Amino acid sequence: MAKFRTAVDTGGTFTDIFVFNGETGEVQVQKVPSTPDNPSRAIANGMEAAGVHMPDVDLFSHGTTVGTNALITRELPPTGMVCTKGFRDVVEIRRSTKQDLWDHYKDVAPPYVKRRHRLEVEERVDYAGTMVTPLNDEEARRVAKILKKRGMKAIAVCFMNAYMSGVNEQRMKEILQEEIPGAYVCTSNELLPEIFEHERFSTCLTNAVLGPVVGDYLNDLTSRLEGMGYRGDVLVLHSGGGVMKAETVAQYASRVASSGIAAGAIAMDQTAKMCGFQNAMGLDMGGTSCDVSLTYEGELRMSKEWEVEFGYPIRYPSIEVITIGAGGGSVAWIDQGGSLRNGPESAGAVPGPACYQAGGEKPTNTDANLVLGRLNTTLLDGRMQLNKEASEKAVKKIADAFDMTTIDAASAVLELANANMCDALRLISVTKGYDPRDFALVAFGGAGPLHAAYVARELEIPKVIVPRYPGVHAALGCLQVDVRHDLTRTYLVNSTDADLADIEQVFAELEQEAYQMLEKEGMSRENIELVRNMDLRYVGQWRNLNVNIPKPIESLDQALQIFHNEHERQFSWSNPDQVVEIYGLRITAIGKVPKPSFARYEITTNSTPTPEQTRRVYFGKAGGFVDTPVYNREKLVAGAHLTGPAIIEQLDTTTVVPTGVKAVVDEYLNIIMDITG
Amino acid sequence: MAQVESRLDPVTFEVLKNAFGNLVDQMSEQILRTCYSFVIYCRDFSSALCDVNGDTIMQGSQDIAVHVGTLHLTAKAIIDTFGDDIHEGDVFIFNDPYVGGTHFCDVRIVRPVFWEGEIVAFTLTNGHWADVGGTVPGSFDISAKNHYGEGTRITPTRIWDKGRYLGDVANCLVANMRGAEDRLGDLRAQAEATMVGQREFLRLVSKYGKDTVLEAARECQDYVERITKARISELEDGTWDTVDFIDQDPEQPEALIPIKVKMTIKGERVAYDLEGSHNYIGCFLNSAYPATLSALIAGTKAFFPDIPLNAGFFKAFDIKMPENSVVNAPWPVAVTGFCSGVYEKVQAAVIDLWSKMMPERAMGCAFNLEYLLIGGWDRRASSDTFFMWYDWMAGGHGARSHKDGCNATAAVFGLGLSIQPCEGQERLSPVLTSEHAIMTDSAGPGKHRGGCGVVKGGTVMDCEQSVMSYCCDRSRSIPFGIWGGLPSIPQGLWKNKNTENEEFLGAIFSGVPVKKGDTFIRPSAGGGGLGDPLERSVEEVLEDVIDGYVSVKRAMKDYGVVIRVNDEDLLDYDVDYLATEKERAYIRANRIGWMRKDPMEVKKSLALGEIDLLDVIRRHGVIMDWGTGEVLVETTRQFREMLEQKTIAFWE
Repeated sequence: MAKFRTAVDTGGTFTDIFVFNGETGEVQVQKVPSTPDNPSRAIANGMEAAGVHMPDVDLFSHGTTVGTNALITRELPPTGMVCTKGFRDVVEIRRSTKQDLWDHYKDVAPPYVKRRHRLEVEERVDYAGTMVTPLNDEEARRVAKILKKRGMKAIAVCFMNAYMSGVNEQRMKEILQEEIPGAYVCTSNELLPEIFEHERFSTCLTNAVLGPVVGDYLNDLTSRLEGMGYRGDVLVLHSGGGVMKAETVAQYASRVASSGIAAGAIAMDQTAKMCGFQNAMGLDMGGTSCDVSLTYEGELRMSKEWEVEFGYPIRYPSIEVITIGAGGGSVAWIDQGGSLRNGPESAGAVPGPACYQAGGEKPTNTDANLVLGRLNTTLLDGRMQLNKEASEKAVKKIADAFDMTTIDAASAVLELANANMCDALRLISVTKGYDPRDFALVAFGGAGPLHAAYVARELEIPKVIVPRYPGVHAALGCLQVDVRHDLTRTYLVNSTDADLADIEQVFAELEQEAYQMLEKEGMSRENIELVRNMDLRYVGQWRNLNVNIPKPIESLDQALQIFHNEHERQFSWSNPDQVVEIYGLRITAIGKVPKPSFARYEITTNSTPTPEQTRRVYFGKAGGFVDTPVYNREKLVAGAHLTGPAIIEQLDTTTVVPTGVKAVVDEYLNIIMDITG
Repeated sequence: MAQVESRLDPVTFEVLKNAFGNLVDQMSEQILRTCYSFVIYCRDFSSALCDVNGDTIMQGSQDIAVHVGTLHLTAKAIIDTFGDDIHEGDVFIFNDPYVGGTHFCDVRIVRPVFWEGEIVAFTLTNGHWADVGGTVPGSFDISAKNHYGEGTRITPTRIWDKGRYLGDVANCLVANMRGAEDRLGDLRAQAEATMVGQREFLRLVSKYGKDTVLEAARECQDYVERITKARISELEDGTWDTVDFIDQDPEQPEALIPIKVKMTIKGERVAYDLEGSHNYIGCFLNSAYPATLSALIAGTKAFFPDIPLNAGFFKAFDIKMPENSVVNAPWPVAVTGFCSGVYEKVQAAVIDLWSKMMPERAMGCAFNLEYLLIGGWDRRASSDTFFMWYDWMAGGHGARSHKDGCNATAAVFGLGLSIQPCEGQERLSPVLTSEHAIMTDSAGPGKHRGGCGVVKGGTVMDCEQSVMSYCCDRSRSIPFGIWGGLPSIPQGLWKNKNTENEEFLGAIFSGVPVKKGDTFIRPSAGGGGLGDPLERSVEEVLEDVIDGYVSVKRAMKDYGVVIRVNDEDLLDYDVDYLATEKERAYIRANRIGWMRKDPMEVKKSLALGEIDLLDVIRRHGVIMDWGTGEVLVETTRQFREMLEQKTIAFWE
């Protein structure tokens, strides 16, 4: 009996399914419409459509937008918050900033819980964790009873300085659980014992509002899958780039708040490694936006500054993804100063680009690609027809304004889209001290492969990888990851006063905790890997730098040297004579899950593929329109090589190979373009 | 679509325009990640790319508003001073508010960018250093009469000479500041950031060619000028004027200090004339020309949020300021507190003027920017260091044409300026925060309510030789409402409130000694209301009461809405509609009379407990010394005059 592994990536429009046959290494993909009212329905539909017999599946892993959507739409369970007296408004005052510095009419979204449901109790510990005022039990019980009367399903307990001592929070939690059995209660100390009240409270509150939402959804999904005969674990992708078992997710619900976005980055990282690249950037371009991510020396770039909505940070390490408004449907326009612009407005799926003839008249990137012949007028195996004349009419508006030809205008529109993507890639690379010339670019999403070669050329990125199934590539990310948890401890001491033995001791405690978490999830010790990290900074500085630290730490000087080197690499300066402050200790706990090994195809040498047809395609002013061979990707065997100009078409993606660029198909059927030629 | 005239092809222009934006944001990112001053870290800084004349090509997208109109003046100050004596590898430092700075704390680093032996641009960063010397920690000395007491004045000074770091000069400067080592760290962070800007600019030049890049830079400025003028010419021509006030000149008898702004729109240009503004005053709330210019520009920009900011924007404006006035103070008049003084008043006045022009973007007055500083020796068990507890608050913004003002938001002075976490402050200083919360009834009532202000209090713990200073305003010139809206609440700090040593210290003071066990508390005001509060929907008032933004008592007094509390635990409240109708009629019939009641009678009523402090302000428009309860006669007269125009005139 065949053993399958399945990965499901639920997006706003489509649910992508990736089925991997463990015996043959073969892969099957499926795309079905999402069912936002209950996303698990689409999953069941998709499994059926893919013809997967669930008893044959031994691993189900999942990226979901359930959390993101619940936060954005505010469809949240009745949730209360209990805070230290005088501090119930921390989550509303936030850090007080606005996202748009000039527009007085653009507001920050309201907090997830209204002020009326944020209650206070008398209690306080100080900066050192010393008890100033113990929790008043009687008052705590009164508050719990009020929340019960109001029918609260979830409660966040957030006390000042709880990163130093969780005693009062814990007691409050016990009282709440006694008074309101069945309520979902979490405390800021147990989730994230880190300094800075707003960031910690916000993480805890997000966790509380999502706990029941995500928990209910996963219960439903699990029983649905079980009903279909599935007997394995349900693994859910979290923003840190690992999976958690469904039963753990409820406890750390805020970690899956952007589960969906992480999938693409992970898939990028894995594909790059598969092709032998340790440094790569991802260009995931869909209909409305483009996600950019980066992996360096085999490690995805992480960030601690992320949020689903501005002002409400979730302080878990998260894969850094920059999203910009550059998709196939992004609209080109001329602003009042007469400048040509592209995006962020998108024509979306409805009305869509002008060529869809569904009411859209604005010129989009898709229209420009069609005008230049890069896109075919027939897509999805003939299920969709595009109207080229409508595209030309739309693009002509731009052309007229600048007194240029429609062709030049279409070309200009695409150059701008590419330039915007380059800026996003620069932000995640050059700005952070990475040189794009040392990287490969993995291009996916429906529109990524149309643009990737041009973007790479602009940034002097030497190689572009187009994976086998660009349209559903992100789902692959769910299949490729390990169980992962991040544990953290605020630990403040100057390097001159630091005691290495004590640091080792704290690391050991965190590691103990990590083992317990993973073993609870059924991981055996030999499959567990723990990685140590330290947050460091020069005394007086305000931002920390997170660096990887070996175990055991040989000497403090060794750790400090790693910090100086990284500071030098990122900021072009370091000062080994200056005192360094240790700020936090972290453990990344990884429970290894067996990965699929994809089928490798034998390389056919000297394979020159035969084009299906030729089409007139525009490749820039110098070459003009060129008779261009158009290939069917399904027919490209491993080892096939060709030189641009060429177009490679597959079900939902078109790859453009510009003039002079060499493309080869590797043993996993990825297309690798050499841009340096 | 209109025919567009351009010297560059549209793609090259757009690409380079975005690249310039990317370049300055990269500079900002570098500063943020390496700075030493927490004021900078909380985003009180800015970055710019300037052309060979010093005019800005691009500023950072997250730059603080208060710097916007001054960066080009800084670059020009360097050019004027050094002329031909600027060389590759030079870096300059500068903070002179009289020539092109804002206040001494804002230290600017300027680097000329060379290509093949000639200057092609300047990169510049400006950061608020936590201390630049002077008599009090944090360099905010309210008692300073001139700049000698305020801090270190740095006229245009070379700090790197052809690539050689002039450590002697740098050390001489920071030796005058508290935390000299940290200041050198800030200097380093900012200088490296200008290097990042240089690297990126030269990358563009080598890729696109010098001529193309410089042409794109010019085109960026022309583009902004074009779009700005196009917008202005769509507006009707005319002249409008308004006035806002600073609380007082502490050296003179009580009276509000008027700041007048007259705006004339004619064709594609806007003229601002500040004639009639008061002479400079005897405390540091004055402003020199550059910072006032910045306030005018920043206030205007709020009505054109989508237009990028560079030298092109300034070209649509003609500015006139009277000599020796509070808005154009000459050297050596003290100006460090300009941010709480003139700056916010000019900005509020400009927003008030444009609210008439563009009602759909109108906004009432916001709370006043404030800085509270406590400095001294930390004597807690594990410490033996000099501490500086340097705090600023969020507050309420003014109500808007169709919605309430924002609660608890950064000052209009800089919407990116984030407040500090109390937990961080408690670790670094012997000050325990007792509350940090939204303040009930702090918002100005109106059809649309102002945003709520915040209250923050604390207790001083183990310390020695510690003093407290406060840089604020609007204890008397309370944030005003517009179109019939009411004012919010006065700002100002109380020491040891509700004890026998209770003391109201007001909105500006410095060097007040504090010792272990002393407490303090101060509100940031809410924003002013917009429209008649009696027209606010009862449902909105009810919601505000349920959330505690408005008390049951003020719901009745300010809005005439009578709310019954059935069960607080269950949030069971309802509106007594009959009583509400009656109450509203009663207020409507009497309120103009209340506003004109003899202030001495009002004082008497207050003493008898018939009315409370919010009634004194919102019902009677009377301003007192909040510590002594004495009526400020002249101040009240001016405040009532303002209320007549901005509020009462709009009541039916």
